[in-house]
Amino acid sequence: MTRAETFTKYILGFLTIFVVIALYAPIVLTIFYSFYKTRKGKVDWDSFSYEPYTKLIFEKQILESLVNSVYVGLVTVVFSVLIGFYFANYYHTHKGKMREFLQFVIFLPFLLPPIISGLALLIFFREVGLPRSLNTVVIGHTIFVLAIVYKIILNKLETLKPSLMESAYDLGANKLQAFWYVLLPNIKLSLVIAGLLAFTISLDETLITLFLIGDDTTWPIKLWAKMRVGFSKQVNASVTLILILTTTLVLLIAWIISKSEKKIMY
Amino acid sequence: MTNIINYFQSSIWTIVSFIMVTIIILIPLLSFLSYSFFTVDNVEIIHEFSLYNFKEFLTGEIYIPTFFRTLLLALTVMIACMITGYPIAYFLAMYAHRSKYFILLILIIPLFMSYIIKIYMMRSILGYSGLINKLLMMFGIISEPSEFFLYNQNAVIITLIIILLPLIIIPTFTSLEKIPRNIIEATYDIGCKPFQSFRYVIFPISLPGLIVGAVFVFILALGDFVTPQLVGGTSGFTYGKIIYSNFGMAFNWPFGTALASILLIVSVIIILLTNYLTRKT
Repeated sequence: MTRAETFTKYILGFLTIFVVIALYAPIVLTIFYSFYKTRKGKVDWDSFSYEPYTKLIFEKQILESLVNSVYVGLVTVVFSVLIGFYFANYYHTHKGKMREFLQFVIFLPFLLPPIISGLALLIFFREVGLPRSLNTVVIGHTIFVLAIVYKIILNKLETLKPSLMESAYDLGANKLQAFWYVLLPNIKLSLVIAGLLAFTISLDETLITLFLIGDDTTWPIKLWAKMRVGFSKQVNASVTLILILTTTLVLLIAWIISKSEKKIMY
Repeated sequence: MTNIINYFQSSIWTIVSFIMVTIIILIPLLSFLSYSFFTVDNVEIIHEFSLYNFKEFLTGEIYIPTFFRTLLLALTVMIACMITGYPIAYFLAMYAHRSKYFILLILIIPLFMSYIIKIYMMRSILGYSGLINKLLMMFGIISEPSEFFLYNQNAVIITLIIILLPLIIIPTFTSLEKIPRNIIEATYDIGCKPFQSFRYVIFPISLPGLIVGAVFVFILALGDFVTPQLVGGTSGFTYGKIIYSNFGMAFNWPFGTALASILLIVSVIIILLTNYLTRKT
Protein backbone atom coordinates (compact mmCIF):
# COMPACT_ATOMS: atom_id res chain seq x y z
CA MET A 1 0.00 0.00 0.00
CA THR A 2 1.40 3.36 -0.98
CA ARG A 3 1.43 6.30 1.37
CA ALA A 4 -1.30 8.04 -0.58
CA GLU A 5 -3.45 4.96 -0.34
CA THR A 6 -2.96 4.61 3.41
CA PHE A 7 -3.87 8.26 3.70
CA THR A 8 -7.07 7.71 1.67
CA LYS A 9 -7.92 4.74 3.80
CA TYR A 10 -7.76 6.74 7.02
CA ILE A 11 -9.68 9.67 5.57
CA LEU A 12 -12.43 7.32 4.40
CA GLY A 13 -12.41 5.56 7.74
CA PHE A 14 -12.92 8.84 9.57
CA LEU A 15 -15.71 9.77 7.17
CA THR A 16 -17.42 6.46 7.91
CA ILE A 17 -17.17 7.03 11.65
CA PHE A 18 -18.52 10.54 11.24
CA VAL A 19 -21.48 9.32 9.20
CA VAL A 20 -22.27 6.56 11.68
CA ILE A 21 -22.34 9.19 14.43
CA ALA A 22 -24.58 11.46 12.33
CA LEU A 23 -26.98 8.62 11.50
CA TYR A 24 -27.27 7.54 15.11
CA ALA A 25 -27.34 10.97 16.76
CA PRO A 26 -31.15 11.39 16.55
CA ILE A 27 -31.69 7.88 17.84
CA VAL A 28 -29.21 8.08 20.69
CA LEU A 29 -30.69 11.41 21.78
CA THR A 30 -34.17 9.90 21.95
CA ILE A 31 -32.97 7.09 24.16
CA PHE A 32 -31.05 9.59 26.27
CA TYR A 33 -34.10 11.81 26.76
CA SER A 34 -36.16 8.86 27.90
CA PHE A 35 -33.87 8.57 30.92
CA TYR A 36 -32.72 12.12 31.66
CA LYS A 37 -34.45 15.43 32.09
CA THR A 38 -33.28 18.72 30.66
CA ARG A 39 -33.70 22.14 32.20
CA LYS A 40 -33.28 25.23 30.05
CA GLY A 41 -31.31 23.31 27.49
CA LYS A 42 -28.96 21.83 30.08
CA VAL A 43 -28.92 18.20 31.02
CA ASP A 44 -29.70 17.39 34.60
CA TRP A 45 -27.36 14.48 35.20
CA ASP A 46 -28.96 13.50 38.49
CA SER A 47 -32.36 12.98 36.98
CA PHE A 48 -31.78 9.47 35.74
CA SER A 49 -34.90 7.39 36.05
CA TYR A 50 -36.58 4.56 34.26
CA GLU A 51 -39.96 5.68 35.52
CA PRO A 52 -41.27 6.53 32.00
CA TYR A 53 -40.95 2.87 31.13
CA THR A 54 -43.08 1.71 34.02
CA LYS A 55 -45.51 4.57 33.49
CA LEU A 56 -45.92 3.42 29.90
CA ILE A 57 -48.38 0.81 31.12
CA PHE A 58 -50.86 3.59 31.90
CA GLU A 59 -50.56 5.25 28.51
CA LYS A 60 -53.56 3.61 26.89
CA GLN A 61 -53.32 5.49 23.60
CA ILE A 62 -49.67 4.66 23.00
CA LEU A 63 -50.19 1.02 23.87
CA GLU A 64 -53.23 0.81 21.65
CA SER A 65 -51.34 2.28 18.72
CA LEU A 66 -48.52 -0.20 19.34
CA VAL A 67 -50.97 -3.10 19.29
CA ASN A 68 -52.48 -1.74 16.07
CA SER A 69 -49.05 -1.49 14.48
CA VAL A 70 -48.20 -5.06 15.40
CA TYR A 71 -51.56 -6.25 14.04
CA VAL A 72 -51.05 -4.39 10.76
CA GLY A 73 -47.48 -5.71 10.53
CA LEU A 74 -48.48 -9.33 11.08
CA VAL A 75 -51.34 -9.33 8.59
CA THR A 76 -49.13 -7.53 6.08
CA VAL A 77 -46.52 -10.25 6.48
CA VAL A 78 -49.04 -13.00 5.76
CA PHE A 79 -50.49 -11.32 2.68
CA SER A 80 -47.24 -10.02 1.22
CA VAL A 81 -45.44 -13.35 1.60
CA LEU A 82 -48.34 -15.29 0.04
CA ILE A 83 -48.79 -12.90 -2.88
CA GLY A 84 -45.04 -12.34 -3.20
CA PHE A 85 -44.42 -16.06 -3.41
CA TYR A 86 -47.21 -16.45 -5.95
CA PHE A 87 -45.70 -13.85 -8.26
CA ALA A 88 -42.12 -14.97 -7.72
CA ASN A 89 -43.15 -18.50 -8.63
CA TYR A 90 -45.09 -17.17 -11.60
CA TYR A 91 -42.10 -15.22 -12.86
CA HIS A 92 -39.83 -18.19 -12.28
CA THR A 93 -41.96 -20.75 -14.12
CA HIS A 94 -43.31 -18.67 -16.99
CA LYS A 95 -41.82 -17.00 -20.01
CA GLY A 96 -42.84 -14.14 -22.21
CA LYS A 97 -43.59 -10.46 -22.06
CA MET A 98 -46.38 -10.87 -19.50
CA ARG A 99 -44.05 -11.70 -16.63
CA GLU A 100 -41.89 -8.67 -17.32
CA PHE A 101 -44.98 -6.51 -17.30
CA LEU A 102 -46.22 -7.99 -14.02
CA GLN A 103 -42.82 -7.51 -12.45
CA PHE A 104 -42.76 -3.88 -13.51
CA VAL A 105 -46.21 -3.26 -12.03
CA ILE A 106 -45.28 -4.97 -8.76
CA PHE A 107 -42.25 -2.74 -8.46
CA LEU A 108 -44.21 0.45 -9.13
CA PRO A 109 -45.53 1.12 -5.61
CA PHE A 110 -42.06 0.55 -4.21
CA LEU A 111 -40.30 2.77 -6.72
CA LEU A 112 -42.79 5.61 -6.90
CA PRO A 113 -42.86 8.25 -4.17
CA PRO A 114 -44.95 6.86 -1.28
CA ILE A 115 -47.25 9.86 -1.54
CA ILE A 116 -48.43 8.56 -4.94
CA SER A 117 -49.16 5.03 -3.75
CA GLY A 118 -50.96 6.46 -0.72
CA LEU A 119 -53.05 8.83 -2.81
CA ALA A 120 -53.90 6.22 -5.42
CA LEU A 121 -55.23 3.84 -2.79
CA LEU A 122 -57.04 6.62 -0.93
CA ILE A 123 -58.93 7.59 -4.07
CA PHE A 124 -59.56 3.98 -5.04
CA PHE A 125 -61.03 3.16 -1.63
CA ARG A 126 -63.22 6.24 -1.77
CA GLU A 127 -64.52 5.30 -5.21
CA VAL A 128 -65.36 1.73 -4.24
CA GLY A 129 -66.81 2.92 -0.95
CA LEU A 130 -64.43 1.14 1.39
CA PRO A 131 -64.15 3.11 4.64
CA ARG A 132 -60.65 3.84 5.91
CA SER A 133 -59.53 1.56 8.69
CA LEU A 134 -56.61 -0.59 9.76
CA ASN A 135 -57.55 -2.97 6.95
CA THR A 136 -56.99 -0.35 4.29
CA VAL A 137 -53.63 0.34 5.92
CA VAL A 138 -52.85 -3.37 5.63
CA ILE A 139 -53.61 -3.26 1.90
CA GLY A 140 -51.36 -0.22 1.49
CA HIS A 141 -48.49 -1.82 3.39
CA THR A 142 -48.87 -5.09 1.49
CA ILE A 143 -48.59 -3.36 -1.85
CA PHE A 144 -45.62 -1.34 -0.66
CA VAL A 145 -43.55 -4.24 0.70
CA LEU A 146 -44.65 -6.67 -2.02
CA ALA A 147 -41.77 -5.74 -4.32
CA ILE A 148 -39.14 -6.47 -1.68
CA VAL A 149 -40.74 -9.73 -0.59
CA TYR A 150 -41.16 -10.77 -4.22
CA LYS A 151 -37.54 -9.98 -5.07
CA ILE A 152 -36.11 -11.88 -2.11
CA ILE A 153 -38.17 -14.99 -2.85
CA LEU A 154 -37.48 -14.78 -6.59
CA ASN A 155 -33.72 -14.50 -6.01
CA LYS A 156 -33.88 -17.65 -3.92
CA LEU A 157 -35.97 -19.50 -6.51
CA GLU A 158 -33.46 -18.63 -9.21
CA THR A 159 -30.63 -20.26 -7.27
CA LEU A 160 -32.47 -23.60 -7.32
CA LYS A 161 -31.70 -25.93 -10.17
CA PRO A 162 -34.63 -26.77 -12.47
CA SER A 163 -33.72 -30.43 -12.01
CA LEU A 164 -34.84 -30.21 -8.38
CA MET A 165 -38.52 -29.91 -9.16
CA GLU A 166 -38.26 -32.15 -12.22
CA SER A 167 -36.83 -35.00 -10.19
CA ALA A 168 -39.62 -34.58 -7.66
CA TYR A 169 -42.15 -34.97 -10.45
CA ASP A 170 -40.22 -37.91 -11.90
CA LEU A 171 -40.41 -39.65 -8.54
CA GLY A 172 -44.17 -39.40 -8.72
CA ALA A 173 -44.90 -36.38 -6.60
CA ASN A 174 -47.92 -34.37 -7.55
CA LYS A 175 -47.81 -30.57 -7.65
CA LEU A 176 -48.81 -30.12 -4.04
CA GLN A 177 -46.36 -32.74 -2.76
CA ALA A 178 -43.55 -31.31 -4.84
CA PHE A 179 -44.30 -27.91 -3.39
CA TRP A 180 -44.63 -29.06 0.20
CA TYR A 181 -41.78 -31.56 0.42
CA VAL A 182 -39.28 -30.17 -2.07
CA LEU A 183 -39.79 -26.52 -2.88
CA LEU A 184 -40.91 -25.19 0.51
CA PRO A 185 -38.03 -26.60 2.60
CA ASN A 186 -35.62 -25.15 0.09
CA ILE A 187 -37.01 -21.65 0.11
CA LYS A 188 -38.33 -21.37 3.66
CA LEU A 189 -35.42 -19.25 4.89
CA SER A 190 -36.05 -16.70 2.18
CA LEU A 191 -39.73 -16.65 3.19
CA VAL A 192 -38.72 -15.99 6.79
CA ILE A 193 -36.33 -13.22 5.78
CA ALA A 194 -38.92 -11.64 3.51
CA GLY A 195 -41.55 -11.84 6.24
CA LEU A 196 -39.31 -10.30 8.91
CA LEU A 197 -38.31 -7.51 6.56
CA ALA A 198 -41.94 -6.85 5.63
CA PHE A 199 -42.84 -6.64 9.32
CA THR A 200 -39.97 -4.29 10.10
CA ILE A 201 -40.89 -1.97 7.24
CA SER A 202 -44.60 -2.07 8.02
CA LEU A 203 -43.93 -1.20 11.67
CA ASP A 204 -42.47 2.15 10.70
CA GLU A 205 -44.35 2.96 7.50
CA THR A 206 -45.61 6.53 7.81
CA LEU A 207 -46.11 8.22 4.46
CA ILE A 208 -48.64 5.79 2.94
CA THR A 209 -50.32 5.17 6.28
CA LEU A 210 -51.07 8.86 6.77
CA PHE A 211 -53.45 8.72 3.81
CA LEU A 212 -55.07 5.39 4.57
CA ILE A 213 -55.62 5.49 8.30
CA GLY A 214 -59.12 6.15 9.56
CA ASP A 215 -59.96 6.80 13.18
CA ASP A 216 -57.50 4.26 14.50
CA THR A 217 -53.84 5.05 14.87
CA THR A 218 -50.73 3.06 14.29
CA TRP A 219 -47.64 3.87 16.26
CA PRO A 220 -45.89 6.19 13.76
CA ILE A 221 -49.17 8.08 13.27
CA LYS A 222 -49.49 8.47 17.03
CA LEU A 223 -45.98 9.94 17.09
CA TRP A 224 -46.88 12.28 14.26
CA ALA A 225 -49.92 13.48 16.20
CA LYS A 226 -47.99 13.83 19.47
CA MET A 227 -45.24 15.79 17.82
CA ARG A 228 -47.24 19.00 17.72
CA VAL A 229 -47.50 19.12 21.49
CA GLY A 230 -43.99 17.82 22.05
CA PHE A 231 -42.99 14.41 23.25
CA SER A 232 -43.57 13.22 26.77
CA LYS A 233 -41.04 10.96 28.43
CA GLN A 234 -43.39 8.05 27.90
CA VAL A 235 -43.32 8.63 24.16
CA ASN A 236 -39.52 8.60 24.23
CA ALA A 237 -39.69 5.41 26.26
CA SER A 238 -42.00 3.78 23.71
CA VAL A 239 -39.62 4.86 20.97
CA THR A 240 -36.73 3.22 22.78
CA LEU A 241 -38.66 -0.02 23.12
CA ILE A 242 -39.57 -0.03 19.42
CA LEU A 243 -35.97 0.73 18.51
CA ILE A 244 -34.89 -2.32 20.47
CA LEU A 245 -37.51 -4.39 18.65
CA THR A 246 -36.53 -3.21 15.15
CA THR A 247 -32.82 -3.58 15.86
CA THR A 248 -33.42 -7.11 17.08
CA LEU A 249 -35.43 -7.89 13.95
CA VAL A 250 -32.75 -6.50 11.63
CA LEU A 251 -30.02 -8.38 13.49
CA LEU A 252 -32.12 -11.54 13.28
CA ILE A 253 -32.49 -11.09 9.53
CA ALA A 254 -28.74 -10.53 9.18
CA TRP A 255 -28.04 -13.58 11.30
CA ILE A 256 -30.32 -15.79 9.23
CA ILE A 257 -28.74 -14.53 6.02
CA SER A 258 -25.22 -15.16 7.27
CA LYS A 259 -26.27 -18.57 8.56
CA SER A 260 -27.78 -19.64 5.30
CA GLU A 261 -24.46 -18.50 3.78
CA LYS A 262 -25.76 -18.54 0.27
CA LYS A 263 -26.57 -15.08 -0.90
CA ILE A 264 -30.27 -14.58 -0.78
CA MET A 265 -30.47 -10.87 -1.20
CA TYR A 266 -28.99 -9.29 -4.29
CA MET B 1 -54.25 -33.31 -25.07
CA THR B 2 -51.92 -32.76 -22.14
CA ASN B 3 -50.39 -29.94 -24.11
CA ILE B 4 -53.75 -28.25 -24.35
CA ILE B 5 -54.41 -28.72 -20.64
CA ASN B 6 -50.95 -27.39 -19.85
CA TYR B 7 -51.48 -24.41 -22.06
CA PHE B 8 -54.85 -23.78 -20.53
CA GLN B 9 -53.47 -24.09 -17.01
CA SER B 10 -50.65 -21.71 -17.61
CA SER B 11 -52.94 -19.19 -19.21
CA ILE B 12 -55.25 -19.37 -16.18
CA TRP B 13 -52.25 -18.54 -14.00
CA THR B 14 -51.49 -15.65 -16.27
CA ILE B 15 -55.04 -14.36 -16.08
CA VAL B 16 -55.24 -14.73 -12.31
CA SER B 17 -51.95 -12.92 -11.75
CA PHE B 18 -52.94 -10.22 -14.17
CA ILE B 19 -56.26 -9.66 -12.42
CA MET B 20 -54.59 -9.60 -9.02
CA VAL B 21 -52.03 -7.02 -10.03
CA THR B 22 -54.64 -4.98 -11.83
CA ILE B 23 -56.94 -4.81 -8.83
CA ILE B 24 -54.39 -4.02 -6.21
CA ILE B 25 -52.06 -1.75 -8.15
CA LEU B 26 -53.15 -0.69 -11.61
CA ILE B 27 -56.77 0.29 -10.97
CA PRO B 28 -55.84 2.49 -7.97
CA LEU B 29 -53.20 4.18 -10.11
CA LEU B 30 -55.64 4.69 -12.96
CA SER B 31 -58.40 6.03 -10.73
CA PHE B 32 -55.75 8.30 -9.28
CA LEU B 33 -54.88 9.59 -12.73
CA SER B 34 -58.53 10.03 -13.69
CA TYR B 35 -59.14 12.12 -10.57
CA SER B 36 -56.71 14.71 -11.82
CA PHE B 37 -59.23 15.57 -14.54
CA PHE B 38 -62.10 16.09 -12.10
CA THR B 39 -63.02 19.25 -10.29
CA VAL B 40 -64.38 20.07 -6.88
CA ASP B 41 -67.38 22.12 -5.86
CA ASN B 42 -67.23 22.91 -2.15
CA VAL B 43 -67.04 19.39 -0.77
CA GLU B 44 -68.52 17.54 -3.76
CA ILE B 45 -66.22 16.00 -6.31
CA ILE B 46 -67.57 16.48 -9.82
CA HIS B 47 -66.82 13.47 -11.98
CA GLU B 48 -66.55 15.29 -15.25
CA PHE B 49 -63.59 15.61 -17.55
CA SER B 50 -61.88 18.95 -17.24
CA LEU B 51 -58.38 20.32 -17.71
CA TYR B 52 -58.99 22.98 -15.10
CA ASN B 53 -56.47 21.57 -12.60
CA PHE B 54 -53.63 21.52 -15.10
CA LYS B 55 -54.48 25.02 -16.21
CA GLU B 56 -54.34 26.04 -12.58
CA PHE B 57 -50.95 24.37 -12.22
CA LEU B 58 -49.56 26.22 -15.22
CA THR B 59 -51.00 29.61 -14.36
CA GLY B 60 -50.78 29.55 -10.56
CA GLU B 61 -47.95 31.63 -9.19
CA ILE B 62 -46.45 29.19 -6.73
CA TYR B 63 -46.80 25.77 -8.32
CA ILE B 64 -44.19 25.73 -11.05
CA PRO B 65 -41.53 27.60 -9.05
CA THR B 66 -42.14 25.27 -6.07
CA PHE B 67 -41.92 22.28 -8.36
CA PHE B 68 -38.54 23.33 -9.69
CA ARG B 69 -37.32 24.35 -6.26
CA THR B 70 -38.25 20.88 -5.01
CA LEU B 71 -36.48 19.27 -7.97
CA LEU B 72 -33.40 21.29 -7.06
CA LEU B 73 -33.73 20.32 -3.41
CA ALA B 74 -34.01 16.63 -4.28
CA LEU B 75 -31.03 17.00 -6.60
CA THR B 76 -28.99 18.63 -3.82
CA VAL B 77 -29.88 15.83 -1.41
CA MET B 78 -29.04 13.25 -4.07
CA ILE B 79 -25.63 14.74 -4.89
CA ALA B 80 -24.77 15.16 -1.21
CA CYS B 81 -25.72 11.54 -0.59
CA MET B 82 -23.64 10.41 -3.58
CA ILE B 83 -20.58 12.36 -2.43
CA THR B 84 -20.86 11.03 1.11
CA GLY B 85 -22.19 7.58 0.35
CA TYR B 86 -19.79 6.52 -2.36
CA PRO B 87 -16.57 6.94 -0.33
CA ILE B 88 -18.14 5.02 2.53
CA ALA B 89 -19.24 2.16 0.28
CA TYR B 90 -15.72 2.24 -1.21
CA PHE B 91 -14.13 2.11 2.22
CA LEU B 92 -16.29 -0.84 3.21
CA ALA B 93 -15.68 -2.80 0.03
CA MET B 94 -11.95 -2.13 -0.27
CA TYR B 95 -10.50 -1.51 3.17
CA ALA B 96 -12.82 -2.84 5.82
CA HIS B 97 -11.94 -6.50 5.13
CA ARG B 98 -13.73 -8.87 7.44
CA SER B 99 -15.72 -6.27 9.32
CA LYS B 100 -17.34 -4.90 6.16
CA TYR B 101 -20.66 -6.66 6.62
CA PHE B 102 -20.75 -5.64 10.25
CA ILE B 103 -20.20 -1.96 9.44
CA LEU B 104 -22.70 -2.20 6.60
CA LEU B 105 -25.26 -3.57 9.04
CA ILE B 106 -24.58 -0.69 11.43
CA LEU B 107 -25.18 1.72 8.55
CA ILE B 108 -28.39 -0.04 7.47
CA ILE B 109 -30.09 -0.34 10.86
CA PRO B 110 -31.03 3.38 11.10
CA LEU B 111 -32.99 2.93 7.87
CA PHE B 112 -35.51 0.82 9.75
CA MET B 113 -35.65 3.09 12.76
CA SER B 114 -38.57 5.38 13.26
CA TYR B 115 -38.76 7.90 10.49
CA ILE B 116 -40.83 10.38 12.49
CA ILE B 117 -38.48 10.21 15.46
CA LYS B 118 -35.45 10.95 13.33
CA ILE B 119 -37.10 14.05 11.92
CA TYR B 120 -38.30 15.13 15.35
CA MET B 121 -34.88 14.74 16.89
CA MET B 122 -33.20 16.51 14.00
CA ARG B 123 -35.29 19.46 15.10
CA SER B 124 -33.64 19.54 18.48
CA ILE B 125 -30.22 18.89 16.97
CA LEU B 126 -30.45 21.64 14.37
CA GLY B 127 -32.36 24.15 16.49
CA TYR B 128 -31.28 27.49 17.88
CA SER B 129 -30.00 25.99 21.11
CA GLY B 130 -29.40 22.60 19.52
CA LEU B 131 -26.42 20.32 19.44
CA ILE B 132 -24.94 21.65 16.19
CA ASN B 133 -24.98 25.23 17.37
CA LYS B 134 -23.48 24.26 20.70
CA LEU B 135 -20.69 22.31 19.04
CA LEU B 136 -19.92 25.09 16.58
CA MET B 137 -19.77 27.58 19.42
CA MET B 138 -17.62 25.30 21.51
CA PHE B 139 -15.07 25.11 18.73
CA GLY B 140 -15.31 28.86 18.25
CA ILE B 141 -16.48 28.64 14.63
CA ILE B 142 -19.43 30.89 15.34
CA SER B 143 -19.81 33.32 18.22
CA GLU B 144 -23.57 33.12 18.64
CA PRO B 145 -26.19 30.51 17.74
CA SER B 146 -27.03 30.45 14.07
CA GLU B 147 -30.50 30.14 12.61
CA PHE B 148 -29.02 28.64 9.50
CA PHE B 149 -30.07 25.12 10.40
CA LEU B 150 -33.73 25.12 11.33
CA TYR B 151 -37.07 25.93 9.73
CA ASN B 152 -35.67 26.53 6.26
CA GLN B 153 -34.47 24.64 3.19
CA ASN B 154 -31.13 23.75 4.80
CA ALA B 155 -32.91 21.91 7.58
CA VAL B 156 -34.93 19.91 5.06
CA ILE B 157 -31.80 19.03 3.09
CA ILE B 158 -29.77 17.99 6.14
CA THR B 159 -32.61 15.90 7.57
CA LEU B 160 -33.29 14.15 4.26
CA ILE B 161 -29.59 13.32 3.90
CA ILE B 162 -29.54 11.75 7.35
CA ILE B 163 -32.65 9.71 6.56
CA LEU B 164 -31.80 8.62 3.01
CA LEU B 165 -28.03 8.16 3.07
CA PRO B 166 -28.09 4.40 3.84
CA LEU B 167 -30.15 3.84 0.67
CA ILE B 168 -27.25 4.89 -1.51
CA ILE B 169 -24.61 2.99 0.44
CA ILE B 170 -26.29 -0.42 0.03
CA PRO B 171 -26.42 -0.73 -3.81
CA THR B 172 -23.07 1.02 -4.24
CA PHE B 173 -21.46 -1.37 -1.80
CA THR B 174 -22.93 -4.43 -3.51
CA SER B 175 -21.68 -3.35 -6.93
CA LEU B 176 -18.22 -2.44 -5.56
CA GLU B 177 -17.98 -5.68 -3.66
CA LYS B 178 -18.64 -7.74 -6.78
CA ILE B 179 -15.42 -6.49 -8.39
CA PRO B 180 -12.89 -9.32 -8.16
CA ARG B 181 -9.61 -8.40 -6.48
CA ASN B 182 -7.53 -9.76 -9.34
CA ILE B 183 -9.08 -7.27 -11.76
CA ILE B 184 -7.81 -4.43 -9.60
CA GLU B 185 -4.40 -6.12 -9.30
CA ALA B 186 -4.33 -6.58 -13.05
CA THR B 187 -4.74 -2.85 -13.54
CA TYR B 188 -1.66 -2.30 -11.36
CA ASP B 189 0.27 -4.90 -13.32
CA ILE B 190 -0.34 -3.10 -16.57
CA GLY B 191 1.00 0.07 -14.98
CA CYS B 192 -2.03 1.91 -13.72
CA LYS B 193 -1.60 4.35 -10.89
CA PRO B 194 -4.15 3.84 -8.11
CA PHE B 195 -6.18 6.80 -9.26
CA GLN B 196 -6.20 5.63 -12.86
CA SER B 197 -7.29 2.19 -11.78
CA PHE B 198 -10.13 3.80 -9.87
CA ARG B 199 -11.07 6.21 -12.64
CA TYR B 200 -11.07 3.75 -15.54
CA VAL B 201 -11.94 0.41 -13.94
CA ILE B 202 -13.46 0.50 -10.48
CA PHE B 203 -15.68 3.54 -10.87
CA PRO B 204 -17.32 2.50 -14.17
CA ILE B 205 -18.10 -0.96 -12.79
CA SER B 206 -19.66 0.47 -9.64
CA LEU B 207 -21.59 3.20 -11.44
CA PRO B 208 -24.87 1.27 -11.95
CA GLY B 209 -25.12 0.64 -8.22
CA LEU B 210 -24.49 4.28 -7.48
CA ILE B 211 -27.12 5.34 -10.01
CA VAL B 212 -29.75 3.00 -8.57
CA GLY B 213 -29.14 4.34 -5.08
CA ALA B 214 -29.10 7.92 -6.29
CA VAL B 215 -32.44 7.50 -8.06
CA PHE B 216 -33.98 6.03 -4.92
CA VAL B 217 -32.79 8.97 -2.89
CA PHE B 218 -33.93 11.45 -5.52
CA ILE B 219 -37.46 10.09 -5.84
CA LEU B 220 -37.98 9.77 -2.10
CA ALA B 221 -36.66 13.28 -1.49
CA LEU B 222 -38.87 14.59 -4.26
CA GLY B 223 -42.08 13.16 -2.84
CA ASP B 224 -41.43 13.66 0.87
CA PHE B 225 -43.96 15.84 2.64
CA VAL B 226 -43.39 15.02 6.30
CA THR B 227 -39.84 16.35 6.55
CA PRO B 228 -40.62 19.81 5.11
CA GLN B 229 -43.71 19.94 7.28
CA LEU B 230 -41.73 19.37 10.46
CA VAL B 231 -38.38 21.06 9.93
CA GLY B 232 -39.01 23.23 6.88
CA GLY B 233 -40.85 26.11 8.51
CA THR B 234 -42.48 28.63 6.24
CA SER B 235 -39.71 29.02 3.68
CA GLY B 236 -39.00 25.32 3.34
CA PHE B 237 -42.27 24.09 1.89
CA THR B 238 -41.99 21.66 -0.97
CA TYR B 239 -44.11 20.30 -3.76
CA GLY B 240 -45.04 17.24 -1.71
CA LYS B 241 -46.28 19.46 1.08
CA ILE B 242 -48.54 21.38 -1.34
CA ILE B 243 -49.99 18.07 -2.55
CA TYR B 244 -50.59 16.92 0.99
CA SER B 245 -52.26 20.19 2.01
CA ASN B 246 -54.85 19.68 -0.74
CA PHE B 247 -55.95 16.52 1.00
CA GLY B 248 -56.14 18.10 4.41
CA MET B 249 -57.39 21.56 5.18
CA ALA B 250 -57.84 22.78 1.61
CA PHE B 251 -60.16 19.98 0.61
CA ASN B 252 -59.37 19.74 -3.07
CA TRP B 253 -58.56 16.16 -3.95
CA PRO B 254 -58.69 16.54 -7.73
CA PHE B 255 -56.22 19.41 -7.71
CA GLY B 256 -53.92 17.61 -5.28
CA THR B 257 -54.10 14.58 -7.54
CA ALA B 258 -53.28 16.65 -10.60
CA LEU B 259 -50.20 18.01 -8.85
CA ALA B 260 -49.26 14.49 -7.79
CA SER B 261 -49.76 13.09 -11.27
CA ILE B 262 -47.08 15.46 -12.54
CA LEU B 263 -44.82 14.02 -9.84
CA LEU B 264 -45.84 10.55 -11.01
CA ILE B 265 -44.90 11.28 -14.63
CA VAL B 266 -41.53 12.69 -13.62
CA SER B 267 -40.85 9.65 -11.41
CA VAL B 268 -41.84 7.15 -14.08
CA ILE B 269 -39.59 8.86 -16.63
CA ILE B 270 -36.69 8.73 -14.16
CA ILE B 271 -37.34 5.06 -13.35
CA LEU B 272 -37.50 4.04 -17.03
CA LEU B 273 -34.37 6.08 -17.78
CA THR B 274 -32.49 4.43 -14.93
CA ASN B 275 -33.63 1.03 -16.07
CA TYR B 276 -32.29 1.80 -19.54
CA LEU B 277 -29.00 3.25 -18.30
CA THR B 278 -28.16 0.49 -15.85
CA ARG B 279 -29.10 -2.25 -18.27
CA LYS B 280 -26.81 -0.92 -20.95
CA THR B 281 -23.70 -0.58 -18.82
